[in-house]
Amino acid sequence: MSAVDTVSSGALRHLRIIDLTRVWAGPLGTRTLADFGAEVIKVSDPRIPLSRVGKVNDKLNRNKLNIALRLDKPEGRDVFLDLVSVGDVVIENFRPRVMRNLDITYGKLLEVNPNLLMCSMPGFGLAGPYSEYPAFGSTAEAMAGINSMIGYVPDRPLQTGLSYADPVSGLNLVNVILAFARRRSVTGKGNFIDLALADSPLGTLGEFFVANSAIDYKQHPNGNRHSQYAPHGAFRCFGDDQWIAISITNHFQWERLKVEIDDSRLENPGYGDLSGRKANEGAINRIMEEWTSRKDAGELMEQLQQKGVPAAKVSNNLDVLNDPHLNEREYFSYLKISEENIEKYDGQAIPGNQKERSKWFPMRDLGEDSNSIVMEYLGYSKDKYLSLLEQKVIS
Amino acid sequence: MSSEYFADDLPLNGIKVVETAQGVSGPYAAKLLASLGAEVIKVELPGGDWSRKTPPFLSETNHTESSALYLYNNTGKKSVVLDWRNSEGLNDLENLIKSADVFIEDWDISARTEWKLSPEFFIENNPQLIELSITPFGLSGPYSTYKSTPLIQLALGGILNLIGNPEQEPLMLPGHQPDYLTGINGSNAVQIALWDRDFFGESGKFLELTMLETLANLHQAPLDMDGGIRRRSGHRQSPLSSNGFPPGVCTVSAKDGYMTFGGGSPAIWEQLCLMLGRLDLFENETFSNVFENPESGLIVDHIMENWMADKTREEVFKEASSVWMLPVSPVKKINEILEDKQYASRHAFQKIIHPVAGEATYPSPTFTANGEKLKVSRSPMLGEHTKEYLW
Repeated sequence: MSAVDTVSSGALRHLRIIDLTRVWAGPLGTRTLADFGAEVIKVSDPRIPLSRVGKVNDKLNRNKLNIALRLDKPEGRDVFLDLVSVGDVVIENFRPRVMRNLDITYGKLLEVNPNLLMCSMPGFGLAGPYSEYPAFGSTAEAMAGINSMIGYVPDRPLQTGLSYADPVSGLNLVNVILAFARRRSVTGKGNFIDLALADSPLGTLGEFFVANSAIDYKQHPNGNRHSQYAPHGAFRCFGDDQWIAISITNHFQWERLKVEIDDSRLENPGYGDLSGRKANEGAINRIMEEWTSRKDAGELMEQLQQKGVPAAKVSNNLDVLNDPHLNEREYFSYLKISEENIEKYDGQAIPGNQKERSKWFPMRDLGEDSNSIVMEYLGYSKDKYLSLLEQKVIS
Repeated sequence: MSSEYFADDLPLNGIKVVETAQGVSGPYAAKLLASLGAEVIKVELPGGDWSRKTPPFLSETNHTESSALYLYNNTGKKSVVLDWRNSEGLNDLENLIKSADVFIEDWDISARTEWKLSPEFFIENNPQLIELSITPFGLSGPYSTYKSTPLIQLALGGILNLIGNPEQEPLMLPGHQPDYLTGINGSNAVQIALWDRDFFGESGKFLELTMLETLANLHQAPLDMDGGIRRRSGHRQSPLSSNGFPPGVCTVSAKDGYMTFGGGSPAIWEQLCLMLGRLDLFENETFSNVFENPESGLIVDHIMENWMADKTREEVFKEASSVWMLPVSPVKKINEILEDKQYASRHAFQKIIHPVAGEATYPSPTFTANGEKLKVSRSPMLGEHTKEYLW
């Protein structure tokens, strides 16, 4: 495969990002920037193949170049420093001591690029008592309070099961990089950003911290019950693991829902206001589920929404992929893997001047762009490139 | 460790934002822009943003000025009251927007039709304007008139289905997560458009951001999953492929509460077995995928809970993290987080005093710049700045 077109379109063309991140949060953030035309150079370890399990890497690393480079060898570190000298931004999510051991801290990198913008994404932060503790998205969400409010009963918290701190951090990465890249363009000054995985979900739980600190407000796991809305939850529908979410936020919606269910037991005058429905939520939910369990979730969503009742099929991953709304709005993207094989991937939720879709390219293999990066961007001679290959510094 | 707040020029100094959006998604987007230095004018209808009516309230007597949801999502803004539903108010709004760089609104297709507001309406008078439209489903497509709440979004976005026990009701994320995620993407969309406008001379734009697309974008694996369905797994991490996970990637109890153990790789599973003194489990092949052998998961849960029965979460956290290098964390409650020494050491929270609601602790912007957190100022009272901007 010939070198891919990296700089021709998208708002962020000309922004060059050296990407040392792995797993989810970092790669999600740098992929988002790449979708808008940023030139993202992913630096991989030549000894570690890019896992294709579940195509997670394929999904998160489209539109990025790949150089395979041994940062732990002096010759490899020199190549990295040369790369940083022609880059705008460096992003990494190792544990703090890894960057120190490799001697590629922000201070060192400033010597080769005095206005570099750098972002580290440690688990808990670069300093403080937990700074060297390992963290994943699943443990960071526990630390940040998400798990303490999920569950069926107050004394049994559950995890999201989907490593929630990762996607929040990935989006926050985009936010902070855009801001400080702008500042750098205007003032010429770089910055060092510390974006801890365990900090990001704090920002999406703000009202709980405000209320707890001021009036000792607490929310315990309690299924899908809601303090202001009732009924509120997921109700079993016809079929295997089929559910409909219904969320009644006012009296009008409750009246409309009752007409559709048409069950005299719901005419109880005590159910007419929120406090009455909250007090009898279990009984109401059972009556509703008798009704929903005979229905198709998708059809029921349409029926209820047509009457102005907030309702939604509980979609699984395949339902989302085939969702008529998302497809009609051309949300998805189609990546050309080979001449015969075009795969459907998620698109880009952020609107704006994205890289032209015809120029989106799938994940590059380990080291696929090593040659063009060191020879074209860094101006190395062919001999120097071959020598680095021979020393297994790059691949 | 920082002792001060970031005091240099903020990235968005000089950028003026007008916001009519209510609730969380639009206001959170604008709050992020405010924290980065933008001047944000929040335009409220005479009754105020609906989040002002949302409990819990910090004051028993004055709810309008003390909703935790409002107080948090509107820090750093000015509040101007006008009624854009009548022609005089709309005229005032137009005038405010004429000198703005960014306008953030949340008018769905029904509202736009009712008020006869085309997407071009404001940009015609200010070609450099970036207008961000945030709605649950967008201004076109089969769901564009659908009603939405966070639960509805999580359901259609494929997130609800992933949380909770396998045979039981799927569970939602706490609070307003879809709205916050969309808010971050709103700040992202605005900043990308500003970059294009200010550095490449592009004109203004009408940008349509939707909550559903934001959520659909946040699945870790491609949605097709080779034709398989990712299932919710209760207290365990949900598998990303048929390879599943070893046992021990779960939320289980210690002496004084719960711990969440991360992992999924053979290396971490081996470390966990070493910590538990049960390397025999690592060597036992029937313990390699908890979803193929559910019994193995229950056995390991039990061993882990026994190992932790006399240990506090803090003790387990310290030993498992620093001795065994396991990714693990206590399940912390909101009040415990406010007292956590790691968060305190990085100023993850800051105290803000509001004239009516009093003092409360707010999360800081979620990063440090050159070791310093950004300072946040209080949210405005309803119409506090009307005179300043309209008279």
